Amino acid sequence: MTFAGVLLGVAIGIVLLSWVMNLVGRDRLYVGYGVIFVLGTLAAMTVLIVPPLLDAVTRASVALLPVPSLSIVALVIFTFMMVYVFTQITVLSNRVMRLTKELAIRNAQQEGDVERRAAERR
Amino acid sequence: MDTPPDRRCRSLVAVPAYNEGATVRGVIDAVRANLPDCDVLVVDDGSRDEAATALAGTGAIVATHLCNLGYGHAIQTAVLYATRHGYDRLITLDADGQHDPAQVRGLLTEFDSGRWDILIGSRYVVQHKYDGVPLGRRLGMQLFSTLVGLLAGQRIYDTTSGLKVIGRRAFVPLTRWHFIDFHAEALVYLMRLGFRIGEFPITVRERRHGPSMYSALSHVKYPLKTMFMLLLGVVHADLSRKRAS
Repeated sequence: MTFAGVLLGVAIGIVLLSWVMNLVGRDRLYVGYGVIFVLGTLAAMTVLIVPPLLDAVTRASVALLPVPSLSIVALVIFTFMMVYVFTQITVLSNRVMRLTKELAIRNAQQEGDVERRAAERR
Repeated sequence: MDTPPDRRCRSLVAVPAYNEGATVRGVIDAVRANLPDCDVLVVDDGSRDEAATALAGTGAIVATHLCNLGYGHAIQTAVLYATRHGYDRLITLDADGQHDPAQVRGLLTEFDSGRWDILIGSRYVVQHKYDGVPLGRRLGMQLFSTLVGLLAGQRIYDTTSGLKVIGRRAFVPLTRWHFIDFHAEALVYLMRLGFRIGEFPITVRERRHGPSMYSALSHVKYPLKTMFMLLLGVVHADLSRKRAS
């Protein structure tokens, strides 16, 4: 891979890392998903930066599945789409959590009121 | 006219429970015997065992999550309940019977000295050693205790204790930021915000019923997630402080 290619790869990695950290920080991406994306991105960046690792991975991947280098672009787009999809799942999941907590608190309150009235009657 | 219970009792004892039907009733009875001036809230975190039956007639307020949300969210439900009902202190206890409610009095006396916003019932604060703890768990405890010391400037020896006294001042940040299990990540976040957190020595009993909430896989997931949230918590707390000042 050319030096410009490595630089571009690292730049994309940094953008992805910043985006994921920001999403987790704002509670829009579940921390468990965030950890996977961060570790995956760091691993990919390490492979890009260390030439012997890049050679080994390139040789292994070509031997297993010969694909044109353009497929890397598709992989990058797919990764960003995955982050987006998991963000939507997290947002939905957070709404369910909020509802679950709210229902629990309201039901506990009503139950407490009923018991209090029963105790007063006694 | 009687004062409503939530004004008469300034302390709420919260017991998060997930599949602890075998022990939770004993814990509630012990709490009521030792802390008669406190209200008791059980957060049933979507239990699939006989917990609901066991809780009937105990006099405890029960907040039931319709599905399992995890320990951290069960604690957040308790904090929200305490906030809305005007409690001044929230005492959290494990439902597995490991904590002796009789020891809470000591914690409350220390808490009432006004030196702490959160006081942790700590198994290791006296000896600073993790004797008798399995190796993997011990390494994790040492790691997170050290990380808390590095990131917050104060070592906490028992970051995973479920016995805590939380003052009203800490209620709001505890419901705003998202935590995993209210352990090291929550402590660092609060300490970076300026809250005073201390430890008070306690002893715990062996867990007698059911599995721990930590599965084999969670021994890999928990440290990664907690470290990630530790770092984010530091950034978020520092930004919040800067904006406030």
